[in-house]
Amino acid sequence: MKRQERLGSRLLIGLVFLFLYAPIVFLIVFSFNAGDSSAVWRGFSLHWYAELFQNRLIMESVYTTLLVSILATIISTIAGTFAAIGLYSLGRRKRDALLAVNNIPMMNADIVTGVSLCLFFVAFFQGWGGFAKWFNGVQSLVELPTRLHLGFTTMLLAHIAFNIPYVILNVAPKLRQMDRNLIDAAQDLGCTWMQAFWKVVVPEIKPGIVSGALIAFTMSIDDFVISYFTAGSSTSTLAMTIYGMTKRRITPEINAVSTLLFLSVLVLLLANNIREARLERRRELGAAPRRRPVPALLQNKWFHRGAAAVAACALAAVILFLHDATASRPVVNVCSWGEYIDTDLIDQFEEETGIRVNYQTVDSNETLYSLLKSGGADYDVIVPSDYMIALLIAEDMLEPLDYQKIPNFAKIGDRFKYLSYDPDNLYTVPYTWGTLGIIYNTAMVEKEIASWRDIYSDDYAGQVLLINNSRDALGEALLCLGYSVNTTDEGEIRAAYELLADATRRGVFQGKVMDEVFQTMEGGNAAIATYYAGDYLTMLENNEDLAFVIPEEGSNWFVDAMCVLKDAPHYEEAHQWIDFMASTEASLANMDFIWYASPNEEALAAYPAYYEELYEEPLDQELYEIMATPPEVLERCEVYEYLPPETRTLYNDLWIKLGI
Amino acid sequence: MSKELIRLVNCSMAFDGEQVLDHIDLYINDSEFLTLLGPSGCGKTTTLRIIGGFLTPLEGEVLFDGVRINDIPPHLRQVNTVFQRYALFPHLNVFENVAFGLRLGRKVEGQKKKERIPEEEIRERVMEMLEVVSLKGFENRRITELSGGQQQRVAIARALVNRPKVLLLDEPLGALDLRLRKDMQSELKRIQQQMEITFIYVTHDQEEALAMSDTIVVMDQGRIQQIGTPEDIYNEPKNAFVADFIGESNILDGVMHEDFVVEFFNRKFKCLDKGFAPMEPVDVVIRPEDVDIVPPESGQLRGTVTSVTFKGVHYDTIVDFKGFKWLIQTTDFHDVGETIGIVLNPDDIHIMHKSQYSGLFGDYSSYSEEYDEIGDVAKLDEEEGAQDE
Repeated sequence: MKRQERLGSRLLIGLVFLFLYAPIVFLIVFSFNAGDSSAVWRGFSLHWYAELFQNRLIMESVYTTLLVSILATIISTIAGTFAAIGLYSLGRRKRDALLAVNNIPMMNADIVTGVSLCLFFVAFFQGWGGFAKWFNGVQSLVELPTRLHLGFTTMLLAHIAFNIPYVILNVAPKLRQMDRNLIDAAQDLGCTWMQAFWKVVVPEIKPGIVSGALIAFTMSIDDFVISYFTAGSSTSTLAMTIYGMTKRRITPEINAVSTLLFLSVLVLLLANNIREARLERRRELGAAPRRRPVPALLQNKWFHRGAAAVAACALAAVILFLHDATASRPVVNVCSWGEYIDTDLIDQFEEETGIRVNYQTVDSNETLYSLLKSGGADYDVIVPSDYMIALLIAEDMLEPLDYQKIPNFAKIGDRFKYLSYDPDNLYTVPYTWGTLGIIYNTAMVEKEIASWRDIYSDDYAGQVLLINNSRDALGEALLCLGYSVNTTDEGEIRAAYELLADATRRGVFQGKVMDEVFQTMEGGNAAIATYYAGDYLTMLENNEDLAFVIPEEGSNWFVDAMCVLKDAPHYEEAHQWIDFMASTEASLANMDFIWYASPNEEALAAYPAYYEELYEEPLDQELYEIMATPPEVLERCEVYEYLPPETRTLYNDLWIKLGI
Repeated sequence: MSKELIRLVNCSMAFDGEQVLDHIDLYINDSEFLTLLGPSGCGKTTTLRIIGGFLTPLEGEVLFDGVRINDIPPHLRQVNTVFQRYALFPHLNVFENVAFGLRLGRKVEGQKKKERIPEEEIRERVMEMLEVVSLKGFENRRITELSGGQQQRVAIARALVNRPKVLLLDEPLGALDLRLRKDMQSELKRIQQQMEITFIYVTHDQEEALAMSDTIVVMDQGRIQQIGTPEDIYNEPKNAFVADFIGESNILDGVMHEDFVVEFFNRKFKCLDKGFAPMEPVDVVIRPEDVDIVPPESGQLRGTVTSVTFKGVHYDTIVDFKGFKWLIQTTDFHDVGETIGIVLNPDDIHIMHKSQYSGLFGDYSSYSEEYDEIGDVAKLDEEEGAQDE
């Protein structure tokens, strides 16, 4: 009986730990996956770690993360220590009250801290803009910048702000434990106040300072929410980059970077715990006389000063270097989707032009739109989709392009120019294009699917994934009913909704998905989904049973195009970037990497040969036609147009009503 | 004696509006062992901290060798302190604790920057000082490995190694047990004589004060009650407070009829005091050990024994005289209930002017040992509370 109980409790503990650690173990294991799925094991490989170190987006954000963490740790440790000393010298009542105030930011929800800091900075920038304009007007000696952005500095300030309480919390108890007479004693023996501080107070509270600094560093590395709100659009920490990557598709690269992040935080925590345990033991043993002999050189005052000077210079050099790398070189700020570029092209562009590319990603057209609207973004080049471009043009948020500076625009196929979203082609250079279609698992679906009707049929009830995007989902239904995807007729749209609602009632749909579609389809957990052709090709690598079809009723085809934002600070550089990306060489490399078709006709024609040379096998014509849909199929497809507000509202309402 | 070293002129101090020192005048001679004695809150530690430079008096002057030093910070004064709880530096070993002051360098006349003391000299002086305080061989120990007494010695060595003109000691033996305290008393006295420097010693323990001091300053309520040699203070207390605080005393109301004649208990006694106004009401002090017990019929006064406590060398005998209880210390045993007589010689009687303390002390009606001890503990606690703030 007793034995059983013990067994039971052990089992329970085992389950608890399994629950806690299984996800992390899973993550770590799949970081070593040879294939590019996070569901299907293809053998052991360090491939993703190698990839990781070549991914400049990730490496840059690691850089940013480390720099902000180190700087924030140094500054907040100094500030927090002095704040703790200030608190210590107050009366008990005031001190306790202030310590309570100090604790509040730590318990505050990160999101509240983040949002409030963001709003504070934005409000300050507005005030600053007014001041700077007035100041520049009354004198001409110093030119103050009138437009400030959220960026590295604001994020650093935010990190310092949220780290200081942790430092105070660690230093204050050490001060309280310290015998107050120690300071008197040091002064009595001939120390000035400053000497007493350095020779007696600092050694006494050093354990508190060190653990405060370690915690601050860990918190900084760990932070996502506060950084997200204060970093602005052109700075990105590792956590933010990972978040951006997951929005597109979880590759084992994310597993690898998460594994490394997990390990480094683990090491920091272990270091801190071991240190504390050792101090504790030493205190218990009554302090073992373990004094390592210190070499004479290390005791020399001049050596100390020299070392401090060298360290300070090194730090200054690193910061200057980074500043240099980020500021004084010409820059172009690009915003695109995750995994939507061959990052080697960025390096190539930088080498050729000397312009630094600050490449950021967002997860959807809607996010991009709200970022632009909030004024928090300082991008030059963006790559929105067709219908969003129409909206941005309508709202006068884009700058007309100077096509003289984009000679490669001539290579863009005519069928991708003068489209409905930019009828005079004043604002855009197409970047990629593709189609929406039906992906289905041939092992689970016997017949060949040819019509949108099939995705609403009872044959595959519970096996169909509905795309989680009102425009696409309702568009498919409209096509199924033989209407245009751009219809503004309320009756037609309601009819499409009824089709979806009816299928929902019949339990056809397994769920609404966006990025989960990869794992679900690759793992064979659903039979049918609707998604983009380029992404189908990625899925096919992990599951050979998948097939893609553009239904007979036609489909949507989309264009993502490069545009320059109104008042972009780097107009010239933006044009150079656009021209570079439109070139045949860049288009070929990019196409090969992201598997979305380029609008560059030369590149489209050259791709099969390019592929054969690179992989030493012929390109599968069928697959190529899925990526670069042939003109006769494309004719059946429609581009989304910008819908009037009342239609958009209707879409929204119906989408919410649909539920699922 | 020798020349004057420190003088406080009309010094006052207050914390949060509460008067702690009330216009004090005091001078301290070179190479003197001076004790500031008084109960907690009497202002003795405040006086010490003013001399050490940790406090600046609100009023009055502090003179060192005739020079005003009110505004000189502690690190520039030729004074070192042994703190109540030693305040040793836990991150340094014994040697480095003692060497701490020396490593900061020495002041050179006319130069702002301190001069570095060569390592060799530091080593020599520290070892010499560790020898003085009998801690040779302990130099590499950590502070936490030392006993209370050893820590005490390190604190003394750390202060003395700087060769101060004055050493301030703030209840340095308070945290030691009785036996160790007695040893350290003679040790301190020996060190003071050997080094020939001025010690200013703060304590609330009158025995300690009597045993070690050249001069005792008795303080209460921020005022100096009496300054004198231990013998003066004991034999000629100025008022009821001093009489009670130093040793045990029976204090009675009396009237001075003329020089050398005092009346109490309705009876005239011969005494050695003079210079009082005719018929002036006075306090009469009779030390418990001065009373001679005689058979009742031959006594000047008769009383009944109400309690007897054996104290080792003597018995503490409480005797009731017409409702007023006296403490008498005698080597003879008299049982409870016994009626005894006493005889007072003129030099056993000490007459004091009436003061604010009259009537507060000297009656043993509620006498009990426990009471005294509880009182002491309560005082100590109060003091700690006060220091925390």
